[in-house]
Amino acid sequence: MEIMLTVNGEALSLAVAPDALLIDTLREAADLTGSKKGCATGDCGACTVLLDGRPVTSCLVLSATAQGKDIVTIEGLADGDNLHPVQQAYVDFGAVQCGYCTPGMIMMTAALLDEEPHPSNDQIKAGLAGNLCRCTGYSKIIDAVNSAALITGEQKE
Amino acid sequence: MTTSTTKGESTGVKERTKPEYTIVGKSVRRIDSIAKVTGASKYSTDFYLKGMLHAKILFSDRPYARIVDIDASKALALPGVKAVVTGDDAPDNRYGVYLEDKIILAKGAVTYVGDRVAAVAAVSEAIAEQAVELIEVTYEDLEPLLDTDAALAPDAPELHPDLADYDAGFPYIRYGNVCMEAELARGDVDSAFAGSDVVVEQTYRTGAINQAPIEPHACVAGFDHRGRLTVWTATQQLSVCHAELASALGLSMGEVKVVALECGGGFGGKLKTNLEPLCALLAQNTGQSVRLALTREEEFIAANGRAPFTIRIKLGATRDGKLTASDIDIVADAGAYADHVIGTASHALSSSDGVYRFPSMKVRTRAVYTNNPDYGCMRGYGTIQVNFALEAHMNVLARALGIDPAELRLHNLLEDGDELISRSRVHDVHIRETMETALAQSGYWDKAGSMPPNQGIGIANMVKTVGLLSSAANIHLNEDGTAAITTAAVEIGTGTHTVLSQIAAEVLGIPLSEVSVAVPDSDSTAYDLGSIASRTVFDNGSAVRLAAENLRDKIAGCAAGALGCEVGEVSVSSGRAYVTSNPENGMTLREVAGTSIYGFGGPLVGVGSWNAYKHHDEPVGGGFGEGIYPTFGFGTHVAEVEIDPDTGQVSVLDYTACHDVGKAINPMALEGQIEGAIAQGIGGSLWEEMLVADGRILNPNFVDYRLPTILDMPRVKVSTVEVPDALGPFGAKGIGEHPILGPGPAITNAVSDAAGVSINQIPITPERLATAIDAAAE
Repeated sequence: MEIMLTVNGEALSLAVAPDALLIDTLREAADLTGSKKGCATGDCGACTVLLDGRPVTSCLVLSATAQGKDIVTIEGLADGDNLHPVQQAYVDFGAVQCGYCTPGMIMMTAALLDEEPHPSNDQIKAGLAGNLCRCTGYSKIIDAVNSAALITGEQKE
Repeated sequence: MTTSTTKGESTGVKERTKPEYTIVGKSVRRIDSIAKVTGASKYSTDFYLKGMLHAKILFSDRPYARIVDIDASKALALPGVKAVVTGDDAPDNRYGVYLEDKIILAKGAVTYVGDRVAAVAAVSEAIAEQAVELIEVTYEDLEPLLDTDAALAPDAPELHPDLADYDAGFPYIRYGNVCMEAELARGDVDSAFAGSDVVVEQTYRTGAINQAPIEPHACVAGFDHRGRLTVWTATQQLSVCHAELASALGLSMGEVKVVALECGGGFGGKLKTNLEPLCALLAQNTGQSVRLALTREEEFIAANGRAPFTIRIKLGATRDGKLTASDIDIVADAGAYADHVIGTASHALSSSDGVYRFPSMKVRTRAVYTNNPDYGCMRGYGTIQVNFALEAHMNVLARALGIDPAELRLHNLLEDGDELISRSRVHDVHIRETMETALAQSGYWDKAGSMPPNQGIGIANMVKTVGLLSSAANIHLNEDGTAAITTAAVEIGTGTHTVLSQIAAEVLGIPLSEVSVAVPDSDSTAYDLGSIASRTVFDNGSAVRLAAENLRDKIAGCAAGALGCEVGEVSVSSGRAYVTSNPENGMTLREVAGTSIYGFGGPLVGVGSWNAYKHHDEPVGGGFGEGIYPTFGFGTHVAEVEIDPDTGQVSVLDYTACHDVGKAINPMALEGQIEGAIAQGIGGSLWEEMLVADGRILNPNFVDYRLPTILDMPRVKVSTVEVPDALGPFGAKGIGEHPILGPGPAITNAVSDAAGVSINQIPITPERLATAIDAAAE
């Protein structure tokens, strides 16, 4: 079947199987391999993308149900060569090690800060509780989110 | 949050003068981080070739069975299926790291749930999956050996009847189902125990742990534009993967090439080969490129997780708290194949002194085949299991003596020059400093013995060897004066390539932005043992330092010719080569490169070839488990926990860690290693365990196998002791594994303190703790 998606601002017409999952469509049909598949059961969060502005684990979304929707993946977060403040903060605070959870973690952080521009540490933890990282122990991720919040919070006000 | 303690001459340690560095010691941003935050990095799972086939493996669902027949006719008839391979299609030769007992596909029998019976290559993953289900295997079940006791029984069937004939890297003692036995001793243990005032003995158990990198295993095998077999994969050990792949396929190393893709986490799970030989076999069989990628469930079955150990330990001491003797017996469940369990079981033996002076010791270790999963190793490599037993048992001994457990430890610490059971002599020992720092930062002395109800505090010490075998690196000067590193050392996420760049930039006197690191591939790089064993900064960092110094000397030589002075008069720094006494008289590195390439001398290439042992002249012991280790990194952790005595739930309230690191080349990356290792250590202490029943892993997913989440982690108070090591580059030791050694015993000791019961098994699941509390109440 043929579906229409807007991915990172670009209108795409993609041929997909009726049972195709959004993560596979993005990675294989749209050639956007930034979103990762860590478990395919919605437990690790590495495949998180924004679907009409809301974070979803794209391994649990049927591509067909995304018909006509607007999707932002990690490849679409930066403004040209200018990193999104969340991306920049992850770089600056050493919140990236192997980097496999990073795309999902960053997309979830961006969604969290969009919803709650000045989150407490508890709100950050609640917001990222569904994203597993095996490398960092999470401390530097929390530092990065706090730092990004200072910038995105200001931009919102 | 890092605070740094730098000790001076007063400690009696050989201290170099403390030089100022430009790039070394700075928390520079990682060179791979922009690609990683924008989704541009290509991991093993992201690599696709046009027209490639997709493979799936048929894993055995029996722990032990004879293969009577495999009928693949239905699978082969499925449209889109290009090949089905079984043991008949695979080479007969066996391969392996310590013992060559593995084959690519099972022949005649399966020995665990997960043994590879057949594989399919098809035009899509979905068709490959369907085809695997259509393969009909007729098994004749055999009585499996499901634990090491059963496998050690005198009448147990031999799971590897050809064990004695397998090639091995060392003439291990092996018999029955024991694929390695080693024993070391010093002093008279029996009379030392007889003369002790207190002797305590207990058996400890550690769980089977999955490395659980968020990137599951994946690789692509195909042919380069000259038709040569090539494998693109994520590996911790490019050189070892290359050698083992060639060995498994019966090819020479020149007939196959391995290219390292970005690696989404290793932790011991991406050593040597895993999927590569089978994927390459399918590529050879079909003449096409083939992708083989594991699902998360398959990852639990097919990765060689940390082997469970059973450790009986007996310690003796005098009334005033001086250790007298230690007797340890280690049994490791190797599972179906030896894999790295021979290594971890022997490293447990070598690590069994911990950080203490034992006047007499006797240690035996055995790795035992069973029909459990094909266990391997994980971060901590045998040391983690024996350190848990030893550090938990030190608290049992302290209780029996009526001495504070920290006090008992302080009475018995190793000192420079002490000889270990491995015959290695320790040097650059800083355990007293890490203990004093961690005890002070955690407020231990005020808290010990006066924690509120249901709360407890626990201490654990640790030491891990640093430095292992060989590494090579080359650095060449580009025409524009920038420097390019080629090495087989892979970046697995720890910051290796950034740190290597910092070392090269520092030596060459150029900015970090003017150093590049090539994507490692087996054609372009000489041997490197890999990003394992806390060795990359120490060993590959040394190779890069040597290469950079060699290049610097060649730059100076070229400049001396051009400037009309002696080599010894030339300085190389700030991107220039110049006469030291007259800095005006000099040239840029771009001019040096141009002079050497287009003028005289030829292209400038610095060569670094390093072996960690060649700096030692002490004799290496003849027994297995003996050996000289280049250096040792020490550390101390203090955990504070709260327990719920009714449910057995444990939460970690506070955590303090101090490590002896020599020199932090990149403090931010180093802190990340410490924090991340502690998170994994907490996971393995409280929740993580592969539950295996009848040879099957019952919880192969992230719901039932619970990794630590952001909600579980306390903010760890990290500190370091930085006294430059005599051998490491810029004085650096290693840090990759050391901090994972602490949480098991520190949390166990804290939980024991809180609950008033003895804990002898990790992970301390709610069920285990509640049961221990109930048993003590009866």
